[in-house]
Amino acid sequence: MLRTVKLNAGYKELHILFDVDAEMEKNKITAVVGPNGSGKSTLLKSIFGLATIHSGKVFFNGGEITKYPPHARTKMGIAYLPQTDNVFANLTVEENLRIAAYTVDKDEVKDRINTALDIFPELERFMKRKAGTLSGGERQMLAMATALVRKANVLMLDEPTAQLAPKFAELIFDRVVKLRDDLKLTILLVEQNVQRALEISDDAYLLVSGRVAFSGKANDLLEHEKFEKLCMGILD
Amino acid sequence: MSVIEGAIVYSNLLVLLSVGLTLTYITTAVPNFAQGSFAVFGSYISLTLLRLYNLHPYYSLPFTFVLGGLLGLTVYLLMLRPLIKREASVVILMISTLALDLILLGIIGSYSDSLAQFTHKSASRFIFTPYDFNLAGLSAILLVSSLVIFLSLFGLFLLLYKTRFGVALRASMENPDLAEVMGVNVEYTRLFSWFLSGALAAMAGTLLPFRQEIVPSTGAIIIVSIFAASIVGGLANINGALLGGYIIGFSESFLTYNLSAILGTGILLYSKVISLVVLVIVLILAPRGITGVNWRRVLWKKSSSQ
Repeated sequence: MLRTVKLNAGYKELHILFDVDAEMEKNKITAVVGPNGSGKSTLLKSIFGLATIHSGKVFFNGGEITKYPPHARTKMGIAYLPQTDNVFANLTVEENLRIAAYTVDKDEVKDRINTALDIFPELERFMKRKAGTLSGGERQMLAMATALVRKANVLMLDEPTAQLAPKFAELIFDRVVKLRDDLKLTILLVEQNVQRALEISDDAYLLVSGRVAFSGKANDLLEHEKFEKLCMGILD
Repeated sequence: MSVIEGAIVYSNLLVLLSVGLTLTYITTAVPNFAQGSFAVFGSYISLTLLRLYNLHPYYSLPFTFVLGGLLGLTVYLLMLRPLIKREASVVILMISTLALDLILLGIIGSYSDSLAQFTHKSASRFIFTPYDFNLAGLSAILLVSSLVIFLSLFGLFLLLYKTRFGVALRASMENPDLAEVMGVNVEYTRLFSWFLSGALAAMAGTLLPFRQEIVPSTGAIIIVSIFAASIVGGLANINGALLGGYIIGFSESFLTYNLSAILGTGILLYSKVISLVVLVIVLILAPRGITGVNWRRVLWKKSSSQ
């Protein structure tokens, strides 16, 4: 469904990803894990068109999208949720959901918002509140709800549980699974909580210093004899 | 016109100008030093329509709105967008608008000479006060400028809070990257901001000659007050421009009037100093302008210390 071929990317002259070949299959959760600075977030940004692509290609449903601007990728059904600043703090929850529906047909907006609220019913009581006043977990739920509103079929989550209390983090993991199972979404998940991310994922990529150090089933990485060393970026 | 009437009119026009300045600053990070000349452009459109077609300046407002908007759009498309695409810094953008201001000054100056030659009437300095009249005991400019500011701000409020594009515009102002992620074409919101900024400035320019004499370099003088208004209110907030416009407008009008009674009319030449003094005082007390102050915290601190 989503594929990168020999992707070399970064920010302007700064080179962060080196020859990354990755593939995310339909209706599956693919985890991207690795130590800090390994290029996990850059991979997501590259796929979404927010980083500088030095060489290589990005494909979506068989078509090349390497040079498409981010708003065009959104229209194609790819949603990217940044780690921070993923909602508009000065807009109300309702306005955040409405702006998420910017590319959706007017007739469908109500249905899409209702679908999102079915998955995240906690948001219903905050509709008139400014998003900036929500807790971290509620904001993350709102961010994921906005992706549902914009009819995403691919969801790229950049550390959705960062800085959340364990109770909220578990709630987010639970909803990620629900999005795959109930709404048949394809999810690309970058997470610091490697153990939990791999437990809920189907496939996994381990990035170390911008290169793919492991690709395969999430369970295989979880049960790898050198799992802990790999996660710290120690490859020998 | 009484002092208070003059202060209200001047403040209304300052608000129109500073709202435009703030809008383009928030959406494109350009501190537009040519905003005053945008207004003078509007003044000369109204003068042209008056001299050539005998159209009363009040009736020229729709024309100045559209032409001023097109000027804003042209400046953005031809000069600023290429610079922004090349990731020019705020300083470069600021200098480019200073250059633009000089270019506009030259164009307006030579245009005023051509207009004077064509109509056989002076156009290098003019005033519209002879064309004003009284309505219900009040000067028409007071009513017209108040109506223009009410309709402009009400329209802007409806747009920003009640339409899909308005919500997109607010979203783009807060976080353009995220707005793009949501599928908003942020470029449209920038184009709109520049159109609206030019249009509001040109409308202010149509009404300004009812209060003061206009010369081609008037823009370079009023830009001080426009910036002071935007910064005092808070450059990151449109409501700040509204608040700042009235604070600066009233301070400049009343303090200059009172000082002239004590020190003589020579002080009128230095009225812009008042704007700068207010600006400095506010920035010392509230570096991010009045709307940048967390008033709840300030009030809470005050009540807890009592």
